[in-house]
Amino acid sequence: MGRKAKFDEGVIVKKGPGKKAKKQKDPIFPKKLIASDDEPKTLSSHQKKRLKKREEKQTMLLEKRKSKQMNKGTKGTKKVIKPPLKATNDSKYSDSEESLNEGHVQPVKTRKKKRGFSDHNNEWLQPKKQKTVDAPSSDEADDSDQLSEPEDNNDDTVTMEKLSDLSDSEKDQEDDNYNPDSDDDLLPIEKQNAKLKQKQLKEDQDAEAELQLNISNQVKFEFPSEVDESNDPKSLQEVQQRIREVIAVLSDFKNLRDNNHSRSDYVSLLKQDLCTYYSYNEFLMEKLMQLFQLSELLEFLESSEVQRPLTIRTNTLKTRRRDLAQALINRGVNLDPVGKWSKVGLVVYSSQVPMGATPEYLAGHYLIQGASSFLPVMALAPQENERILDMSAAPGGKASHIAAIMKNTGVLFANDLNRDRIKAVVGNFHRLGVINSVISCLDGRKFPESMPVFFDRVLLDAPCTGTGVVAKDPSVKTSKDEIDIQRCYNLQRQLLLAAIDCVNAKSSTGGYIVYSTCSVLPEENEWVIDYALKKRNVKLVDTGLGFGTEGFLKYRHLRFHPTMNLTRRFYPHEHNMDGFFVAKLKKFSNV
Amino acid sequence: MKRLSEERTKILFEKLAKYIGPNIKQLIERPDAIYCFREQKDRVYYVSEPILKMATTIHPDNLISVGTCFGKFTKSGKFKLHITALNYLAPYAQCKIWIKSSAEQQFLYGNNVSKAGLGRISENCEKYQGVVVFSMSDLPLGFGVAARSTTECKSADPLAVVCFHQSDIGEYIRSEEDLL
Amino acid sequence: MDVVNEILGNSSKESNKYKPVTVKKHLELEYDLGTLLAVDPNDFNIDLYSKNPNEYFLNLARDNTQLLLNKLWELPTERVEEAVMVKLPPPKTALPRMKPVPKPRPLTKWQKFAKEKGIQKKKKPKLSWDDQLKKWVPLYGFKKAKAEKEKNWVLEVPQNADPNEDQFNKKLVAKTENVSKNDLQRLRNIAKNKNIKVPRFGTSNPEVSSAKDLKAAITIAKASTASLGKFQDKLHKEVEAKGVSAITPGASRKRKMTPLEPENKLNMNIVESILNKKPRLDVDKAVAKQLQTNTFVENSQQKQGTSKGSQKIKNKTNKKPKGSKGHRAGKKGGGRKRR
Repeated sequence: MGRKAKFDEGVIVKKGPGKKAKKQKDPIFPKKLIASDDEPKTLSSHQKKRLKKREEKQTMLLEKRKSKQMNKGTKGTKKVIKPPLKATNDSKYSDSEESLNEGHVQPVKTRKKKRGFSDHNNEWLQPKKQKTVDAPSSDEADDSDQLSEPEDNNDDTVTMEKLSDLSDSEKDQEDDNYNPDSDDDLLPIEKQNAKLKQKQLKEDQDAEAELQLNISNQVKFEFPSEVDESNDPKSLQEVQQRIREVIAVLSDFKNLRDNNHSRSDYVSLLKQDLCTYYSYNEFLMEKLMQLFQLSELLEFLESSEVQRPLTIRTNTLKTRRRDLAQALINRGVNLDPVGKWSKVGLVVYSSQVPMGATPEYLAGHYLIQGASSFLPVMALAPQENERILDMSAAPGGKASHIAAIMKNTGVLFANDLNRDRIKAVVGNFHRLGVINSVISCLDGRKFPESMPVFFDRVLLDAPCTGTGVVAKDPSVKTSKDEIDIQRCYNLQRQLLLAAIDCVNAKSSTGGYIVYSTCSVLPEENEWVIDYALKKRNVKLVDTGLGFGTEGFLKYRHLRFHPTMNLTRRFYPHEHNMDGFFVAKLKKFSNV
Repeated sequence: MKRLSEERTKILFEKLAKYIGPNIKQLIERPDAIYCFREQKDRVYYVSEPILKMATTIHPDNLISVGTCFGKFTKSGKFKLHITALNYLAPYAQCKIWIKSSAEQQFLYGNNVSKAGLGRISENCEKYQGVVVFSMSDLPLGFGVAARSTTECKSADPLAVVCFHQSDIGEYIRSEEDLL
Repeated sequence: MDVVNEILGNSSKESNKYKPVTVKKHLELEYDLGTLLAVDPNDFNIDLYSKNPNEYFLNLARDNTQLLLNKLWELPTERVEEAVMVKLPPPKTALPRMKPVPKPRPLTKWQKFAKEKGIQKKKKPKLSWDDQLKKWVPLYGFKKAKAEKEKNWVLEVPQNADPNEDQFNKKLVAKTENVSKNDLQRLRNIAKNKNIKVPRFGTSNPEVSSAKDLKAAITIAKASTASLGKFQDKLHKEVEAKGVSAITPGASRKRKMTPLEPENKLNMNIVESILNKKPRLDVDKAVAKQLQTNTFVENSQQKQGTSKGSQKIKNKTNKKPKGSKGHRAGKKGGGRKRR
């Protein structure tokens, strides 16, 4: 009995660690608890939806692109290139002409028309002389386009060839690069961006070279005694003196010129002087010189230095203008109605109390708003019981104006991207007693996703470079360059398209979009409108403002839609308000 | 945007009743449209139903305000009226105080109203009742709490506080940031 | 001789059947005998391959194998139980692993902490001298348990302790507690390393639980009655825990249905209830009211009195006026401002 001895085993070989030392096995967990990593995660319902949408979009895009490519052939021939015949003329008598040199195409004849508008004269109070051509419907516009085509190049392809021969090829190419619609209708922003960047680089290099050339020229040649210059720093008076003299020369170039110097020498000298005197950067000054004639340029620059008069808008939700004026006069404020074009505006000449802190202000009887800010809302002409969207509302001046005109009926969506600035909207709306508002903080470009064809009217006061409000923000003078402008108009285009997509064309009362900026540059104004006219089913209509300068039909190499004269521009030196642009569009189809 | 729970509705109405008493009914049942109270991020908004429906298309994260903001629920569960509610409090107020133009500025900078600045007071004002403060030209300036009843006011010292300041329209510029 | 010839013929036939043991190669093969590997650096004969690839490969493989075996035979052999054995030299070629390199064991919570703090593990001796028992006691094991038992045959009852409490039992409980705590910790470590969800509830360690847990526990506990907490009173300022509806009996995670009655009506009811509250006795208000009526009455009396001219006489007594206690009736209450 007992344990059986194992005598046959000589040596006991230990196998691994002893029984006691053996590791306890890991516990077994129920399978559902184990969260496996490698197993692909199931998408949530939202994610699925988004994925589906993305795929749909992609297929749509592909189809679109295909169809576009099919159409391209026909489109290419359709495009009308107006200009180059004139170029030869220009080069012929560029010297004798009173305008700037060839590169700077002066804003067309519309600008030359008499403009007698100012705050003091009453001319604009008269009903505006309507152009005989009413806002043409889109079909008409197309027709006219096609009609004008043979006129412009009255022969066929032969002339076209000639034209291309005449214009130097490089410029032509540049034009092509500039025109975003010529290469791809889809506008992939990156593509365009790259192109523009390339272009800008080239331009920079050119500018550099030109600058060098000019400097060397100036060193080599001596300007006549009246414009004699040395590199010494001069007082501002001297600079101003010289500006005047150069302008005098340029205005009568044939007689007063110095034979050693070309027109461009004078112009570049003038540009430099203007930059020093008004402390602009060269880029912006060049833009402005392209935009205005010389005499007008000086006026513009001068008036841009001066603040516009302080204007206030009566909040008709709470009071009447007469009562408000009475109350403010009692507080020692010297004011007057802003003009017959507005029933709510008041100009404040002087005040013993701060206008932004009177009890009337705090009670929401008025708000401080530039006169130019009335215009887009007046152009929008909101009706009661409508759905209206203000895409970039902050600080809420224009939006509250809309609400006041609607008398707190309907619904007003006030949107702004900036969360800090949206607080001002909230404050203003509550102060002014706007109760029909929905205030949101969204990217305006996302609006059509959530509410397509929902609104009766949309106001888009687009973010811009602010070249019209230099007096308010002088940093604009030096801080802007090509890239900024490019960024601005790209954003503006997208916003405008989004705004158009939000509007319901079938609305019984509305279907209007008002686009406005506080910039004077055509890149941010006419060009953007022109782009929208090509992309969407919209047409320009009269703004309903009795005054203002007509928009450009052409600007340098750009040719805009013939109805662009229905848009309105406002300048500080002409209308005594901030530089501004207003265009009113009507959407005629939801497709 | 969600409906107020019953408790919160009660708290809100109790607060409002201090200022406008039975006139709350006129806020709830209006002849022009259906108006309702909604709550988002503890803020209470008073808005008409059709606008509310349209506002639901916007994601709550991006929705800043709808209609009129009345005030907010504090963390401790009380309701705090904001100056933005003044538009509705002023016309329905039960107890009103008119202050002299000399005292206007004082009040608009957030100070209490002393008897010296008191221009008029409505007849049956009780102690600690909510009052709406007006300027002598009937401009609503803000609201507060009566520190004394009307009768007590008559006998009070000229420097004595008549109305405790709660909110005034100066807040629109003093504290625009935290208006909501 | 026929036989011899036959045998020779057979053997030659047989030898013809087999290929020769020697193989000629242009270049020497490279060998790694440790892994029985031979590498043929000679050129690949494309002509032969294109004629008959199978045969070419077969021949090539045979030749090379032959060479490898020849090489093996060169090694010193020994005979074990009638089998010829060769001891292979150590392999020169490094072979890749079949399985992936094992990952280092993930650190436990304590190890991680110790590493962060730089705490070194101290090696404890397996045996330690016990002065009391006068013998060597192991760190753990049955001998340790025995020694403990021998040593702690009596336990001191600490001051302020319940004399009837079983100290041995208490110690035992503490020990099991400690063991189970360690075990729980071990499980936690494993769960953490294997990415396993540990249920939120079921751990009621007072050191870990927070106010939030407490709130959740209350909410769940209240609902855990036969009537799903319908008749439970609400505590003062009680807040229902959020996010526990999944484990609360009778609670649904869906939003509650909005009442069918229109909102207006509900709100109206609330307003009515607020406005129709029974006013409690407000002393201040009552006093104020009383004061108001008093002053009103007094004023009217005063007016009457002055008109009659009897007021003065009415108040006059023969008593001497007392300055400090003077109580001028005229200034009582509100009345007209005297400024």
